[in-house]
Amino acid sequence: MNREMQGLTDAEADSAVVALKGATVRNDGFALGPLDLSVPAGMVTAIVGPNGSGKSTLMRLLLRLAPFEGEAAVLGQRLAPDSDERLRERIGFVSELPHAYENHLTADEKARFASLWYLRWSWERYERLMRGFDADRTKKLGKLSKGMRRKAELAVAMAHDPELLLLDEPSSGLDPSAWKSLLDELTRYMDRGDRTLIFATHITEEVRRLADYVLFMHRGRCLGLYEKDRLFEAWRVLAVQRVDGTAGKEDAARLLRQAPGVQGAQESGPGICRIETDAPEETEAYCLSAGYRILSSQRMELEEIMACLVRKGDAGR
Amino acid sequence: MWIPVHIDENRPEPLYHQVEVQLRGLILSGRLAEGTLLPSIREFAADLRCSAITVRRVYQDLENEGLLRTRQGTGTFVAGIDQSARDEFRLERVVEAFERAVETGLQLQCSREEMERIWREAYERKRAEADGEKGGPQ
Repeated sequence: MNREMQGLTDAEADSAVVALKGATVRNDGFALGPLDLSVPAGMVTAIVGPNGSGKSTLMRLLLRLAPFEGEAAVLGQRLAPDSDERLRERIGFVSELPHAYENHLTADEKARFASLWYLRWSWERYERLMRGFDADRTKKLGKLSKGMRRKAELAVAMAHDPELLLLDEPSSGLDPSAWKSLLDELTRYMDRGDRTLIFATHITEEVRRLADYVLFMHRGRCLGLYEKDRLFEAWRVLAVQRVDGTAGKEDAARLLRQAPGVQGAQESGPGICRIETDAPEETEAYCLSAGYRILSSQRMELEEIMACLVRKGDAGR
Repeated sequence: MWIPVHIDENRPEPLYHQVEVQLRGLILSGRLAEGTLLPSIREFAADLRCSAITVRRVYQDLENEGLLRTRQGTGTFVAGIDQSARDEFRLERVVEAFERAVETGLQLQCSREEMERIWREAYERKRAEADGEKGGPQ
């Protein structure tokens, strides 16, 4: 292997639960990567990004379901055509869409297949999860509603207590009570401290309740992996105006150009500028010194932060 | 167990600091009794909608201060606290509350005289209220 050129060291491959270096997947019309990424073990990482940003392709890469170039390691094992098949046993996975070839199976029949494949399968755990999710065991999966099928698939994916759980939009179709059960089960799964969860989602509330890290993706590229609480602490939206009570388009343009940390600025109302910043202290200090006053300073929502990161990513292309 | 800690997202203090100050307060004021089992790091993080990294840091800090202890396999408990630490804390909380009030006053361009007058009036009003309650219904 040409390790010198690609440069994923053994230490990097071992310490992170997922380590990527220049990893690229090419499908017709879509490219993922090249990605350099290191996902910490024992933590919950949420992957967020618009449809088509590459979240599902990244999961397929990690499961060796998509051919890729570059280097990748999962749970300390390098992914290669000849690498150990047993790696898959240490991972639990629920895909975004159910598999049509399983339509004629009931949940219990699907579980029976899985129990043969996974050495650490526990029927007791499966039963507890199925009860917790209030999932149907007797109807064929193809006859179940989207949410009901989801619950059965989550129970099967978690019943062997995998070291790494990959969930692609796990809550899609779930009703509020099943959603709450899912969050509780995932919290319990992570409680021991030696398990890792990576999940893709569009639901901000899931990120808030579950995630330790947030990975932003856009157009097949990674826009950054951030510790969640630091991210929400760093990004703020400020309302500012001149000390004389005015502020206009020119002020917004000037602050965007000159104030440190500013990622977006508009005239947002009579005499008020709205500024988005990822270095609020520096931005505030600059504004005060330049003759502005701060009317308010508020946290930003995940969607707003993502819009800023996307804009920044597009500008840097 | 649900712990009444409230995060104010718009305050500038980092999350871990807000959680730590409030949890310390609950322990030192005796509202969380010695021996109380706290939620696991993951459960508490989910309740607070913050990361497990933040909760772990808070638990570690308070353990280092002797306010919490962790028993392997069972969880994190409130430790026994001596009276002098409680007394010290009582004044600290009052100082903090006054500082916050003065901060608000300064932001709204209150003069020192105005603030002193507000303080005196608030003190008299609250004392009268408290006396009225003690006297019971007439």
